[in-house]
Amino acid sequence: MIRKIKINGYRIYNNFVLEPNRKFNLIVGANESGKSTLLEAIALALTGRVNGRRASEELNPHWFNTELVSDFVHERKAGKAVAFPEISIELFLEDTDDLQNLCGAINSDVPTNACPGISLRILPNPDYVAELEKWAQDPNTILPVEYYMDDWRTFSDQKITMRPKQLAAAIIDSRTVRSTSGVDYHLKQILSDHLEPAERAAVSLAYRQVKASMSNDALKGVNDRIGLLNASLHDRSLSLAMDQSARASWDSSIVPHVDEVPFSMSGQGQQAAIKISLAMNKHSEKANYVMVEEPENHLSHTGLNTLLSRIESLAGDQQQLFISTHSSYVLNRLGLDSLQIMGRKGVCNLPELNPDTVAYFKKLPGYDSLRLALAEKVVLVEGPSDEIIFERIFKDMYGRRPIELGIDVLSMRGLSLKRCLEFCAALDKTVVAMRDNDGIDPDSLRDDASEWLEDQKREIFIGQVSSGTTLEPQLVYSNGESTIRGILDIKAHADLDKWMKREKTECAIRIAESRESITPPEYMRLAAEFIHG
Amino acid sequence: MANNLTLAVAGSRKTQGIVEYCANLEHDRRALVATYTQTNQSELKDRLSKFAGDHPGIKTLGWFTFLLHDFARPFFPFMFPRRRIKGFNFDGRPHRMAKGIKRFLDSNDRVYACELSRLAFELIQASKGTLLRRIECIYDEILIDEVQDLSGYDWEIIDVLLESSVDIQMVGDIRQSVLATNARSSKNKKYAHAEAINWFREREKKGKLAIVEKTQTWRCHPDIASFSDSIFDHSWSFPRTESLNTKKTEHDGIFFVRSEHVSDYISKYKPQCLRSGANSGKDFDLDYLNFGLSKGMTFERVLIVPTAGIKQFIKTGKQLEPKPSASFYVAVTRAEQSVAVVIDDSGSSPIGFWNPQS
Repeated sequence: MIRKIKINGYRIYNNFVLEPNRKFNLIVGANESGKSTLLEAIALALTGRVNGRRASEELNPHWFNTELVSDFVHERKAGKAVAFPEISIELFLEDTDDLQNLCGAINSDVPTNACPGISLRILPNPDYVAELEKWAQDPNTILPVEYYMDDWRTFSDQKITMRPKQLAAAIIDSRTVRSTSGVDYHLKQILSDHLEPAERAAVSLAYRQVKASMSNDALKGVNDRIGLLNASLHDRSLSLAMDQSARASWDSSIVPHVDEVPFSMSGQGQQAAIKISLAMNKHSEKANYVMVEEPENHLSHTGLNTLLSRIESLAGDQQQLFISTHSSYVLNRLGLDSLQIMGRKGVCNLPELNPDTVAYFKKLPGYDSLRLALAEKVVLVEGPSDEIIFERIFKDMYGRRPIELGIDVLSMRGLSLKRCLEFCAALDKTVVAMRDNDGIDPDSLRDDASEWLEDQKREIFIGQVSSGTTLEPQLVYSNGESTIRGILDIKAHADLDKWMKREKTECAIRIAESRESITPPEYMRLAAEFIHG
Repeated sequence: MANNLTLAVAGSRKTQGIVEYCANLEHDRRALVATYTQTNQSELKDRLSKFAGDHPGIKTLGWFTFLLHDFARPFFPFMFPRRRIKGFNFDGRPHRMAKGIKRFLDSNDRVYACELSRLAFELIQASKGTLLRRIECIYDEILIDEVQDLSGYDWEIIDVLLESSVDIQMVGDIRQSVLATNARSSKNKKYAHAEAINWFREREKKGKLAIVEKTQTWRCHPDIASFSDSIFDHSWSFPRTESLNTKKTEHDGIFFVRSEHVSDYISKYKPQCLRSGANSGKDFDLDYLNFGLSKGMTFERVLIVPTAGIKQFIKTGKQLEPKPSASFYVAVTRAEQSVAVVIDDSGSSPIGFWNPQS
């Protein structure tokens, strides 16, 4: 199990530290926040490879953190002899007996810490010091990666060239198979890991024999004829035979079939599902680390549901999953407590979420918890009409819509306010909540949730019982019946209370679209001031 | 108890013993075979791949490599944070007054061979148990060949290993301790060379290991075996060597050869000529091999040009110092059938002179 990930100088990451969860890690974040980069970095350090090729072969200038590179160029141009930028990815593993061969203190932890682990560094090749220095006389932000090398080591300071067998990793990317060979590198790896060594050898041998018999039987007639052609140089005979070289080994010809349809022909969602099942199935050599990129891609809602159930049931105690997602559904289903939110300042996760609350959201997977997680500031309201009215009041007060200031207004739609507040508290979000008093004293309602409130950060505002039990009477109370009648365009003979109660949303929309501003109910005004700051 | 020391006499097929031991291990057992000399290491590797090639968990390493891979490199930052060992300096020595990291590393961050075992030992303590835990997890068994050649802090390391959960099997011939991994260390000097036997006997008394004596030689003729025994007197309490060599030739046993007969002797028997070192045996222009270098080799016949001490021992029976005793023992036990010693005055020795006329 990976206990800590440290990344320095790689793409957007510098001085980045993440302590992942033992089992599920759901990586969420805005676009460009580095979700895929994180998965890529973990895979890079675990396997030493990118898309099946050695890191040093795939290395390109864009791997380097642009800030570090431009600082370097700037300093060098100013005549300072600063060192070339480097990349380092370190994976600190759990201190178990079977990983002790990877154990040592050759890592960046201070104070010195010995634990099993693995690191990948990209650093200037000492053989090219002269060339690098020459280049640095007139540096630019495209680093000369030709003079760089990779250094893949265990924490015990031993160079590694092949992935240590305890670190089996499966990478399930959202890219689909396009190549004509039918199987991409990751799937090949997964398939090969799925077979026992003996099975693998038997398959390989049988495949060779089939190819040999093909050459001897079916091709014989052709060869007899071609042999007389004298088409080759130096009069040597020409013949056709099956390719027996390593390039044409079984794993590029044997592909999974779904209902007798080859893998590359099946749907994109199906492809992802197959990869996940193969990689995670209970098996002696199953992957210990599974990385899934945006499983919601290419899948219908029910397809996603099936896939998530499969992931949940296949995940073993010894498996650690990293899943990047844009979907609240995935998040709620696999558990809010597995959340890792990528932000500009690094990652935040949820160390202390009540298991009840996790279970609560699991039962309501449709809820937009991801919006809660990603918003800068949150306003929680009871329903759509509260949402619409608050938006209008806020715009009247500050001239801009809340979302333009990074404030996301979310309607709880019957969800427990306390659960939502707990989730926000765990995320350390600035949040304001509003609710109807429903005839109960606001102070006792507030006390009920006081555990999750924090001065200047999280507050609940509730209207006084005397000015109305729900939003509608509160509006009438603060504006007077005739103003509201005017805005809503309600005939004098109609019962205002009844109409507003019956047409909640319509009422909110009319107020929101009205040219005339309303006086906000006291609690809403306070809430708007609180969240605006 | 799983810690054993096998004290084997010269020619008792020690290396084969290790190979057979390994071949009989359970197949998934993870064993490290550590040895001191390069030649011995490649010999062992060869034979292990022949006889125990179906044991994937067996690994052969030189003693220095073992200390470097499993002690010094992984845990170095515990003594010198953020520093790394970048290589190995076999011949160099730190400055006498060197302090701190300079005591262990040269200017290119290469670790001095002569300070490696001290560093390794100190890291066992400094690493707060992580070093030993790692060793206990990656090896079930550690076999150390030529254990008599270890010295200085190596003994402290063995002490720690004896206390660990790893089974320790040691094989050696104390009487052949001519090499030492750190010839110039003053640490544990009292256990240097043949006196190492006392170190082991102390551990045996404390119940930390069992000593097994292997006294049968397949190599040396009975006369040679008993002469070799006489090099160490009773105070050492080494057991008698039993010879299993039953081969008869026209010239078997120990012989003295007068200076004037040396060339006749050589042309008749073509022995391997041995001397203590480059400064000895200058009276004769022969194709010598030094005692130390001959270790591990076998010849049908040897001719030894003795040092003053050896002459004295032959004439009067006065015991040599431990180190020259070990060297002389190595020289004598190289031979299968005959050992000739060049001497003109044999004093009270009962051994007869070779007569070119007979």
